[in-house]
Amino acid sequence: MTAPLLDISGLHYRYPGARSDALADLDLSVHEGEFVAVVGANGSGKSTLARLLGGLDRPAAARRAGACGHDLLTGDGRLAARRDVGVLFQNPENQLVAEHVEEDIAFGLENLGWPSADIRRRVDEMLARFDLKDLRRREPHLLSGGQKQRAALAGVLAIPRRAIVLDEPTAMLDPAGRADVLAAVAALRVEGLAVVYITQEMDEVVGADTVVGLEGGSEVYAGGVDDLFADGELVRRLNLGLPVAAEVAQELARRGRPLPALPLTLDALLAGLSERS
Amino acid sequence: MKGAGKKAGRAAVKARGGADAAVASPTATDTSAAGMGLACRGVTFSYEEGREAVPAVRDVGFELAAGGSLALLGASGAGKSTLLQLVRGLDEPEAGAVVLDGVKPGGERYAALRREIGLVFQIPELQLFAASAREDVAFGPRRLRWSDERVKEAVSAALELVGLPEEKFGDRHPYALSGGEQRRLALAGVLAMKPRLLLLDEPFVSLDPGTRRQLAGILGRLKGAGVTIILATHDVDLAWALCDDVLVLSAGEVAASGAWEFDAAARDLLVRNRLREPQLVELWRRLGRDLATAPRTAAEAAEALA
Repeated sequence: MTAPLLDISGLHYRYPGARSDALADLDLSVHEGEFVAVVGANGSGKSTLARLLGGLDRPAAARRAGACGHDLLTGDGRLAARRDVGVLFQNPENQLVAEHVEEDIAFGLENLGWPSADIRRRVDEMLARFDLKDLRRREPHLLSGGQKQRAALAGVLAIPRRAIVLDEPTAMLDPAGRADVLAAVAALRVEGLAVVYITQEMDEVVGADTVVGLEGGSEVYAGGVDDLFADGELVRRLNLGLPVAAEVAQELARRGRPLPALPLTLDALLAGLSERS
Repeated sequence: MKGAGKKAGRAAVKARGGADAAVASPTATDTSAAGMGLACRGVTFSYEEGREAVPAVRDVGFELAAGGSLALLGASGAGKSTLLQLVRGLDEPEAGAVVLDGVKPGGERYAALRREIGLVFQIPELQLFAASAREDVAFGPRRLRWSDERVKEAVSAALELVGLPEEKFGDRHPYALSGGEQRRLALAGVLAMKPRLLLLDEPFVSLDPGTRRQLAGILGRLKGAGVTIILATHDVDLAWALCDDVLVLSAGEVAASGAWEFDAAARDLLVRNRLREPQLVELWRRLGRDLATAPRTAAEAAEALA
């Protein structure tokens, strides 16, 4: 197996002036094409992790802190990591800087000194991919929340990346926009990007290769999706929920009618129900 | 949910009250004596973009009875936030009117009614500013020039209602609270003014599932207490669990409104508007069950399936 693109071990981070670590002794390894979901209550350190992986903050300490072959413990390494690791933050407002949507998408490429013909081609590709063609000349502040998020994602992905960290990218999107982003992320995975996907949407966790659960800055779970949702005590402790299908199954079990296995999708729930009857 | 300008489809799914209302006790709060009735008539508003006027909402008409609950759905950019701001009175419609309790705009009585509308903005915790939770919540009631005693009572009741009891949280700095606590504190700031009509703009965004459940429970209690509620959201599952009626905005116009419906035409309409049917309704449809009995919550589903 090739070396992981994101290779973190024993990482600590503390905000200036804080009395305790925002992240403590964190391990994370994400390979090419791997999809790792990160879950945890508000304030558990998820967004801090996103910033560190993207080379935007300096870890306080770590045994290993590698991102696409760059050492996040050094200034040069962090700078290099910023090009290879795309980070999409929770709030797209802070990420849109230019006067129009298309300029915003071009911004990162211009900074990298791409020839203008290539930039134009790449921007058109991104506008089409994220359904933004009609909004290309619109000023960012006139976009709706969901449109802003799509524009921000298009800007992050305009630069060819090897890994991407998405911090609740669908939070403000309508269901179709959510499906678009999930499809885009699935495509990135096929293209071989390492994907770290931070989310509060339990339905979006279901397709992950691995789930990492954070609590108060510590990693309290790393493993499969099924095992996480089967652990009711842990789900409660992390302030998580269950996918709707699993919630129905849990309520059935409470009424003495358990299903053979915990379903995480409606398909699985329907299969379980028909097996039972 | 009647398609605008079209004949009514099959019988609507009957409103049975959201599940969170079922667990809530109507006496749990004195936030409001009674909800406010609302009627929007031909409400129209445009934003300026350069020299162009971009219509944000156009000819929007609907009625919501006192104590009613309405899910405001629609694609990103459909005009949901704009409509809430017009109802709240932060912007004035170019045409049409927002009628409150049967009172038309203008005059002292209307102004007083407007002060009984609460709007919880998207990511409302960004607007927390005071040095303590207590002071932050007191800001609104003070601006209404309530007596000190009345302010004190309102603050205490609102903090209690959102699960941040004053004894424990009153002195805390808002920034020392977790994200979920901040959201609930911001909600308390609005609830302290005892709104009879509560408007919420994507209140569940960025909350962890546990906090979302708490917030849904709070909204269920307010609904049980008779507060009129409009919930703008992309979360169709929570909208279905909490709201008796639904209004779908499409590019600023009403595409459908009324009680929920899930026949083929209604489903198409949802999909055309970048939405989907709630998962529990999809479950019922795929089980071949009568959609008029579709469950609002997992517990209701299990009850019927057990």
